[in-house]
Amino acid sequence: MKLIRVLFLPLLMATSGAWAQGPSYQVGVNGLSCPFCAYGIEKQIHKLDGVKQVKVDIGKGQVVISMDDDRTLEEAQVEAAVKRSGFSLRSFEQSQERVEK
Amino acid sequence: MKYLSFFPILLLQAAIMSQAWAAPVTFNTALPISEGVFLYRQQLRWQSSADDPSGMNREMDAQVAISVLGYGINSKLAVFGVVPWVDKSLEMTVNGNAIERDNRGMGDAKVFARYTFWQDDAQGRTFRAAAFGGLTAPTGKDDETDRFGRLPPSLQNGSGTWNGFGGVVATWQSMNFEIDGEISYEENREANNFEAGDESRLNFSWQRWYWPSDSSRDAGFLYGVEFNWLHRGQNKVGGQKEANSGGDTLWLAPTLQYVTQRYILEMALQKPVVQDLNGTALENDLIAITSVRFIF
Repeated sequence: MKLIRVLFLPLLMATSGAWAQGPSYQVGVNGLSCPFCAYGIEKQIHKLDGVKQVKVDIGKGQVVISMDDDRTLEEAQVEAAVKRSGFSLRSFEQSQERVEK
Repeated sequence: MKYLSFFPILLLQAAIMSQAWAAPVTFNTALPISEGVFLYRQQLRWQSSADDPSGMNREMDAQVAISVLGYGINSKLAVFGVVPWVDKSLEMTVNGNAIERDNRGMGDAKVFARYTFWQDDAQGRTFRAAAFGGLTAPTGKDDETDRFGRLPPSLQNGSGTWNGFGGVVATWQSMNFEIDGEISYEENREANNFEAGDESRLNFSWQRWYWPSDSSRDAGFLYGVEFNWLHRGQNKVGGQKEANSGGDTLWLAPTLQYVTQRYILEMALQKPVVQDLNGTALENDLIAITSVRFIF
């Protein structure tokens, strides 16, 4: 039984999204009300070190950011990126939600 | 052929003030352009002017391709370059004979900057106000000729002058509506003994969103109506005002756009609803506009 666990645990870890990614963040953005304007915010956040995936939800006015393994984000970094894209930060919190590929 | 100079300068000034970012089809918006982001817009316009009060059966048609490239220097300041390519033809009757004159080529390019000086954001909505200003460069030829001699200014592709323009634009946008307003002024200068009248504009746009998908809203339709008021001063030839030039026009344009995160497809039909032109200036009929915008 122990042998089976040793053999299959790495396989389970590799195929699990939870093991393959770092933390996720949910970012509330004010002023976001047009799909065409959303590209800029996606581009700015992608420039941040360690960002793996970005998903902009215009309807909710929020951005979900998934990080590479062992990488984290500071609120100040995200606030600056949101500002560079021409919008305003409303909220910033760690999230269980992940960006679907 | 002096009377040919009575024709209004049709296309370029009306066409190239429309910009590359989302919202109105026929003029500016104050919506943000992010730092480090490029915008490209390719617009095609077909314009017809055949309502001739002079009795010379003048009919002027034009096709204009307008390329716009914009770049966000930072979240407040963006710069733009606009290059038009023009194909114009004029038919008329002179002494009982029908003649046609035409011209095509690159028109006068514009460069300008836009700075957002007011911004008020909330969840799902924004209000912005921006000032813009720039120069029209004499990149189009202004000395073209045909078998009848030198083409009149309205058929030349360029003005031959450096002109300055500026204005203010404000935008309110939510997930349901978008409202834009713009006021602008362009001072035209003299070249080759001809000076086109200065232009004042007042534009207004009301548009409503339709979202095929209520959940993510990553693509939607914008439909609405735009009003464009243009006052053009009288042209001057040899320092003397032309009686048959200048005046006021109010355009009405129903518009439709399909907006995604990477591109916009759009179309509009501009129809003059009020024309108070001086003398026998040729009246405008219809402008059809279609364009695509990309962001990268």
